[in-house]
Amino acid sequence: MINKYDAVVIGSGHAGSEAALALARTGIKTLLLTLNLDSIGFLACNPSIGGTAKGHLVCEIDALGGEMGINADKSTIQRRMLNSSKGYAVQSLRVQADKNLYHRELKKVLENTENLDIRQGEVSDIVVENGKVTTVKTKQGGVYETQVAIICSGVYLQSRIIIGEYSKDVGPNGFANSTDLSDCLTKLGFNLRRFKTGTPVRIDGKSIDYTRLEIQKGEDNIQTFSTLTKEKPANVSDCYLTYTNLDTHSLILNNLDKAPMYNGAIEGTGPRYCPSIESKVVRFADKERHQLFIEPEGLDTNEVYLQGFSTSMPIDLQEDMVRSLKGLENAKIMRDAYAIEYDCIDATTLYPTLESKSISGLYFAGQINGTSGYEEAAAQGLIAGINASLKLRGEEPLILKRSESYIGVLIDDLVTKETFEPYRMMTSRAEYRLTLRQDNADIRLTEYGRKCGLVDNNRYNQFLQYLEEIKTLDTILDKIYSPKEIKDFFEKAGETLSGTSGLSLKDMLRRNKITAEILQENFPDILSQYSIRAIKQWEINLKYEGYLKRQDIQIHQAKKQEEKNLPTDLDYSEIKGLRLEARQKLNDIKPMTLAQASRISGVSPADISVLTVYLKTIQK
Amino acid sequence: MVTTEKTIVAISTAIGSGGISIIRMSGKSSLDIAKSVFTPIKSEQDLEPRKLTLGTFKYKDISDKCMAVYFKAPFSYTGEDIVEFHLHGGITLTNKVYESLVDLGCEPASKGEFSKLAFLNGKMSLDEAEGVIDLINAESESELRAGYDLVQGKLKNEVEKLQDVLTETLAKIEVTLDYPEEDLEEESIEFIRTRLVNCKSKIQDLLSTASLGRAIKEGTKILIYGKTNAGKSSLLNALLNYERAIVTDIQGTTRDVIEETFVYKGYKFILMDTAGIRNTDDIVEKIGIDRSKNSIKSADIVLFVVDSSTNLSEEDYEIMKDIEGKNTIVVINKCDLQTKCELQKIPFDNKVSISTTTGEGIGKLKEELLTFVTNNNINNNSLVITNKRHIESLKSADQNLDTAINNLDAGIDLDLISIDIKASWLNLGDITGNSDNEKIIDEIFSKFCVGK
Repeated sequence: MINKYDAVVIGSGHAGSEAALALARTGIKTLLLTLNLDSIGFLACNPSIGGTAKGHLVCEIDALGGEMGINADKSTIQRRMLNSSKGYAVQSLRVQADKNLYHRELKKVLENTENLDIRQGEVSDIVVENGKVTTVKTKQGGVYETQVAIICSGVYLQSRIIIGEYSKDVGPNGFANSTDLSDCLTKLGFNLRRFKTGTPVRIDGKSIDYTRLEIQKGEDNIQTFSTLTKEKPANVSDCYLTYTNLDTHSLILNNLDKAPMYNGAIEGTGPRYCPSIESKVVRFADKERHQLFIEPEGLDTNEVYLQGFSTSMPIDLQEDMVRSLKGLENAKIMRDAYAIEYDCIDATTLYPTLESKSISGLYFAGQINGTSGYEEAAAQGLIAGINASLKLRGEEPLILKRSESYIGVLIDDLVTKETFEPYRMMTSRAEYRLTLRQDNADIRLTEYGRKCGLVDNNRYNQFLQYLEEIKTLDTILDKIYSPKEIKDFFEKAGETLSGTSGLSLKDMLRRNKITAEILQENFPDILSQYSIRAIKQWEINLKYEGYLKRQDIQIHQAKKQEEKNLPTDLDYSEIKGLRLEARQKLNDIKPMTLAQASRISGVSPADISVLTVYLKTIQK
Repeated sequence: MVTTEKTIVAISTAIGSGGISIIRMSGKSSLDIAKSVFTPIKSEQDLEPRKLTLGTFKYKDISDKCMAVYFKAPFSYTGEDIVEFHLHGGITLTNKVYESLVDLGCEPASKGEFSKLAFLNGKMSLDEAEGVIDLINAESESELRAGYDLVQGKLKNEVEKLQDVLTETLAKIEVTLDYPEEDLEEESIEFIRTRLVNCKSKIQDLLSTASLGRAIKEGTKILIYGKTNAGKSSLLNALLNYERAIVTDIQGTTRDVIEETFVYKGYKFILMDTAGIRNTDDIVEKIGIDRSKNSIKSADIVLFVVDSSTNLSEEDYEIMKDIEGKNTIVVINKCDLQTKCELQKIPFDNKVSISTTTGEGIGKLKEELLTFVTNNNINNNSLVITNKRHIESLKSADQNLDTAINNLDAGIDLDLISIDIKASWLNLGDITGNSDNEKIIDEIFSKFCVGK
């Protein structure tokens, strides 16, 4: 029997779920194929969402009408704002999520979405005719006609788990892996590469002596991921800190011959940003200790996750290593730590829509593109889903700029720079990070989400109201107070008051120690009816004014380059002023604009000068 | 190889009567066009690459015996095929040959177009290109050397070293921000501060050579100043080594400011001879004296000329007040006569005795001037910044670092400080073209004269 769909999404992790939802919610008849229904939205590694730069991604996903922010808020058991002592731009929300709850809630949402069918099955073939996707087939015999296929296979492609000398061809957590899809991709002309990642042990929380550990509590007065979340989730769980010590280090160093990372058993490239404990100990030999976090896996389980302790050592050694840690002397391991190797593609073969340059209708999102992290995956899934939907509806694609979103940075990096190790988002990857904050993600992106059809009336009306509130505050905050009126307030806030002229509320917000919260508290008569979020926007814009202006100038300058199109048939090897490496890279990637060319690794600013002059010469 | 479809042509030598003039063509068709108008004397000869060939240029009614040289791509200035004609000098002939080449399909080259092609074809970097401009415009040996240093990429090396240091500090900030749980902040701040301060001091070292750079490029302005008949115009003539100014015994002979240039040991000096200072009712002389006084401000050095054969006068004291605080060399003239002047009453340390009659002391005075310019501490091998654009970029880089350091000390967030550091990095990149600022590229190539 042949089933007809408009789009088929392969994989139901964080990328696949977003892609399927984006398609179905915009009226596309969609099928979500997954190896196992029990692994929908599975948090295979950390039981947490967000973190530096990743929190930004989740807020952006939310603004565009994606699901991750809402689902993370639903399953939050602890929340913290990282970098809260630093500038607003680098503050990132990170929550501990109840792992099972996260999976159940997401599955519920998918099951109840119109236009979306969910089916368990392993994809064996993607049929391409005349350069276009026509059919997706499963090993079990399913045949699904479709114009679009989005591959979100995560770490499941020919995956292999390694624990010491033990290794097995399975997916994460013992789930079945996918075998035939790799061959199919090779046949379709994709060069596959092998990446590696890993996960630490899960420990029975009852066996840990928490009284000897440093506790880390959640924070209540911070924003949520989704602007739709009305009630802030309570902090019902705690995390704990412990450290490795010299005993732990010598255990590792004395047994490196047993470490698959070092004895050659693992071939894949691992992430530098999230290394195994053996890599950390070897690479940072002079560090006496490494910080570890003990994170709860959920409210309905005693399992806890030992963040920072990912390893692929044999299990007896894993136990010795864990028990060398303070407070964990009697710890009982419930699940072993393991390394996992998997196939992924080179994402520079994709357009910024995440569609393949060579096969129409074939999209890739998530770890298959060489990224690491749930948030990076979800962001790609959303963009692939949105663009596939736009294409099916005959509309212009959505390509977010680097100057307006972390998602834009992520995707531009992926399709422009070759990734040689799993790519993790970091605030330093964004050149305009002052503008790209969590707190203004909705202001930056809601309109795009609306245009794509993912922002419903409820979200949109709430957004318009919020904008109106900010606008109203413009005149409210101009109100001037005499030095006499604010003397006490300034004293209390720890600010000095000089001069005899009055100060407006805006002037006050410019002061370092006066925040939106403090201001509202002290001027309840005129500010209590406005939300902290709206006042905060004024505070941040006023405090950062000078720097934001500078950044705007930079964005404006860069925009000119974004608008300079490079001919795609240009043979760069003819431009001898370019360095050899630049010529090769430019010919491989064929950037669409001068700006994109400037971001290719191996293309230097001097090469860009050459291209600039070249463009002028040929335009004459 | 970047080749535009067109072949460009320009007169590469200065327009005017000269021994020879050179016309240069660059582009695909240059050899074909050359062959259609140029016949070697020895008919069997062809235009061999890099070999001057004697022959006849003939097109319509024009005919001239000349030499031609062919540079085969990519071994030429532009990287394209180039043919040059070395013609007899003269405006009419040069223009006619030029016009006939345009007639044959060459396009007149725009300013700097040859160098732009050279840049595109990897023959030179942006700052090297600027060095070429400086070489072309050089009027003195030291200016030539500064231009040569640029061509050699000396500045580029220095600037790139500084950029590397800034990149390192930026990286440190980023790791602190992206790994908040590693507690790196404290150690980072010290690390960053040291490097910023270090970098700033290096930029200031470079900037401190700018005054020498300006002296090299624009010349050092020397004001010859003193009462009437102290021998100022004689001194001008002695320094120039020819009778430029009228010299008489009559007080107030010099009425206007005379400016002349002389080069000593490769450095350029601009001499300003002025009307002598005295009280006078002569309207013209009064205006001259006012101009003398106004010139003080623009002078780098004042040569205060005193007549050693007379006592210090009221005017001398007035002059000493006028030039207070200026870099001054007291020139004690007429040292061949008996000294009556109360030298100890002159409050300037630097004194040179000369005689414009015998020429005694003139050499020593020139050495003093040179010492002033080179400040004794700059040896010939060190890099000197001469280009205004480079000075501006270095100043901006310096300012941004200053902001960064102040903000760091004031406890401002590291993510904001990184913006100042990045700005400084970009300022430095503007010098070498290691930042893609289009404006700069345009500016540089517009400075080229046509034909280069």
